[in-house]
Amino acid sequence: MTEVFAVIIIVAILVALGFGLVGMVKGGKAGSDRMFKSLVTRVSLSVLLFVLVMFAGYMGWITPNAVMVDAPVVQAPVQK
Amino acid sequence: MSEQEYYVPHGTYWPIIGSIGVSTLFVGFANQMHGVEWGASVMVLGFAILVFMMFGWFGQVVNESTNGIYNKQVDRSFRWGMSWFIFSEVMFFAAFFGALFYARALSVPWLGGADNNIFTPDLWNAFSASWHQMAFLAPGTELQSGTVMSFPAVPESGIATATPADVVDPWGLPALNTALLLASGVTLTFAHHALRAGHRNQIVGWLVATIALGAAFLGFQVMEYGHAYHDGLKLTSGIYGSTFYMLTGFHGFHVTVGVIMLTVILYRIQKGHFNADNHFGFEGVAWYWHFVDVVWLGLFVFVYWL
Repeated sequence: MTEVFAVIIIVAILVALGFGLVGMVKGGKAGSDRMFKSLVTRVSLSVLLFVLVMFAGYMGWITPNAVMVDAPVVQAPVQK
Repeated sequence: MSEQEYYVPHGTYWPIIGSIGVSTLFVGFANQMHGVEWGASVMVLGFAILVFMMFGWFGQVVNESTNGIYNKQVDRSFRWGMSWFIFSEVMFFAAFFGALFYARALSVPWLGGADNNIFTPDLWNAFSASWHQMAFLAPGTELQSGTVMSFPAVPESGIATATPADVVDPWGLPALNTALLLASGVTLTFAHHALRAGHRNQIVGWLVATIALGAAFLGFQVMEYGHAYHDGLKLTSGIYGSTFYMLTGFHGFHVTVGVIMLTVILYRIQKGHFNADNHFGFEGVAWYWHFVDVVWLGLFVFVYWL
């Protein structure tokens, strides 16, 4: 579930960044306003994502890609 | 200059100087790779020519801009030029993220025997498919001779010595670096707001903070590389090592470029080149920094956590 939320927020961040780009290309007062607002949204969502990931990690809802392999890692030959 | 006229650039020698610089750099680099004695010197010379070209050319453009030579049409062409540059950057990182997903979700599991072994050739029967940040063995674990892992972070002796906590822990430097870059995004947003509101002193303060945070990120990234490399994670450490260093390495390069660009913008603000209504140079660099920030966030979430 956390993964789904994280991906949704990442997509929202990319969309906000995209709107910021559109504003920058457009230029002028309207473009400048749009760019600034989009980038504020982007920063806010990024902070939210970071807090979510760290909190989920702390609660054990997600685990980092670090595991201890404590036995000799030998996989049985593939049977065909 | 009237709105109807399009600004035609004067004759300039900077492109040919840039070409000479790039050619010299590559000739030096190729010879350096072949162990030729003068390779490194020629590389440095080529780089120096490139830097000279950038200072000269960009300086000329800045002068033309501040002298009021450019009109709105030129402004539009700058904005479109920046957007195409950004498009190429997005494609660049998309390729590396694509490689990461492909290797992690498809090719490594296939090699390990997934999907009815259709894609599993008899490359090496002892191949152990693993995709971990640090697929480390417990210290002292002795590997059976011939064992191959997708991430062979095991010394040549075959006896593991490092533990995950010894190498890269997402709670350690990566989390700190993410916090630093996110903070730099926040400070840059404050600088952007101050610029739009016309508060020059505040812009300088927030920009200096942004540059300092970016530089701190780079310093910690160097530390992390030293740590990981020392414990056996190299560019040659299987597909994990390759994608890890390609993604984080190119990202670090982009942060370096971003810090240089922000420093130039800081200099230009102190020179009074921008005002609340006219500051495309700042906007271009700010967007670039936000983009680099988002790339790192993606790296942090997908490489270290999910």
